[in-house]
Amino acid sequence: MPRNPSSNSGHTRADSLYIPATCRIEAVSELTPQEKLFRVSLPDGRPLGHRPGQFVQVSLLGWGEAPISVASSPTREGYFELGVRQAGTLTSAMHRLEPGDTLGIRGPFGNPFDLERMSGRDLLLISGGCGLAPLRSLIQYCEDRPEQFGRVCILYGAKSPADILFKEEIRTWEASASFACATTVDNLPGGACYEGQVGQVTRLIPPLEIDAPRTLAAIVGPPVMYRPVIDELKQKGLTEAQIAISLERHMRCGVGKCGHCTIEHLYCCSDGPVFWLSEVSGLRGAL
Amino acid sequence: MKALTQTELETFLHALQPAWDVRAPIRLSDGTRALGRLEEGPLALLGGRIPRKPTDVFFAQQEKVFDALPDGSFRQEEPPQKPLFVLGFTAEDLECLEFIDRFFSSGFADDIYLRKRSGAVIGGLTGKCGSAGELLRIAGGTCDLELVFDGERFIVAAYSEAGEKLEAAMTCAESGASLEDLRRASEALPQDNRRLLEQASALLIAERVPDAFWAEIGERCIACTGCNLVCPTCTCFGVQDWRYPTHIERSRMWDSCQLDAFMREASGHNPLGSEALRTRRRIHHKLAADLRRWGHLTCYLCGRCDTTCPTGIGIVAVAREMVARHAGETARLQG
Repeated sequence: MPRNPSSNSGHTRADSLYIPATCRIEAVSELTPQEKLFRVSLPDGRPLGHRPGQFVQVSLLGWGEAPISVASSPTREGYFELGVRQAGTLTSAMHRLEPGDTLGIRGPFGNPFDLERMSGRDLLLISGGCGLAPLRSLIQYCEDRPEQFGRVCILYGAKSPADILFKEEIRTWEASASFACATTVDNLPGGACYEGQVGQVTRLIPPLEIDAPRTLAAIVGPPVMYRPVIDELKQKGLTEAQIAISLERHMRCGVGKCGHCTIEHLYCCSDGPVFWLSEVSGLRGAL
Repeated sequence: MKALTQTELETFLHALQPAWDVRAPIRLSDGTRALGRLEEGPLALLGGRIPRKPTDVFFAQQEKVFDALPDGSFRQEEPPQKPLFVLGFTAEDLECLEFIDRFFSSGFADDIYLRKRSGAVIGGLTGKCGSAGELLRIAGGTCDLELVFDGERFIVAAYSEAGEKLEAAMTCAESGASLEDLRRASEALPQDNRRLLEQASALLIAERVPDAFWAEIGERCIACTGCNLVCPTCTCFGVQDWRYPTHIERSRMWDSCQLDAFMREASGHNPLGSEALRTRRRIHHKLAADLRRWGHLTCYLCGRCDTTCPTGIGIVAVAREMVARHAGETARLQG
């Protein structure tokens, strides 16, 4: 049966589900040639009220609306951040925005990472491509509340050195006593100056020493990444109930009405985007 | 019970108009029957179900989400000035309406739908008013007011306070009419297609329908989307912004899971990337996925998709083919 809607939907207006709150862009930074990070503030500095793993529906009036994961932790107060790859018309229009411009926000929506269950456990946080943006919300949360979690291991795979997101932050994570962090790239183009690992993100898993019963994993990445990463995690002794995945779908409404994100009987926007693998592994089209 | 002649019913509906926004089956100038206002065409109460989905009164093919004005404010559709009285739902249509009422109200309540739906009074139109005068199943509830045609007059049954008020305002000659005989005949109507859907549903849930079946059915789909557009329980929509010199309008419009772009993402990933997958989704959603989510099938056998589909793959036709090909196999496997 349907889960209850997110209790953190503070900025969905009481009088209308579909009218966005007008937010201000505080800063824009270039992550890669295709991806930008937008720092956004709500009117009156109100907190977004999200939890790691949730998303917002971003509106550009005249261009439309699209779901974008929140890339920053709720522990970083006064703003929230959106990592956006330039892929369609709306995200292309977003990439033309500058500090001081406005955009519309509805949400936060969706089922977040289960922080209660993750509390006290070792975490294995695995992302690929721009999947690091939503996972960054959880990583920052762990960074700000280290006492709440056991060992936190971050694995990240990008296509090439030029595609690596949050390069400076990754260096901070690598240097942090709270984290183990490894990055790899699929391809190393000729002439690229890069000293890190080369190969699929799955290659980072076998060398890990994992206390399987104590560990929970989270995976966010492109669709092709899930099955091989899940296979490696199962080799390490993790069960489907220990693996959280965040699935991408093009939610038009974000609230379980428009039907574009259904996975059999589930709605990715409201039952997900974060699922335990055991909830969806038997469902056609989930992975 | 009150029983109105067609003339008395027409007089009654016209008399309601100053206080009510009345929608009833009318004949449009192109000859089709539709739910419309009385001034849009002559009443056409008889003739069976309306070809379009009747739920479009509350969930229109295209409707405004909001206007964004230059001053930063938003303007939505005003609630209806007069209460709606919609007459013309069959018993099956009423079940569809009851479902989408729950769909749009559950979880996050859809205020666009509920603004139109709230306060509307629903009239069933059943009895011997099929396309060839055949008996249409009597609803016996699930609406405010039911008009059951006995071949000569519309017998009135009210099921809510709002329905009783409308019934009290109807004037007609003493009739001595009763629904007893019609009710018995209605209950005796065959349920073959219901059983067929339940069998098909069981096959889907048991995963006894191979991918090859969907590939074959999908081959026959020409992606006209007619099945979705006439289905009263299809609620999928897309959203689009329209730019005008004075404002930007955000609208939503019906969408179809039979279209290639229905689930395609900007990255190119498409979870419904073949006609086989899309056809399976359409049938599986109503007969298996919704059973798991809502506890019941969400096809109520209104018959519209089977009538509309030019290649014969409406839901009953597909269920029949599925059961004919795979039910025996299942029985063998289970036996």
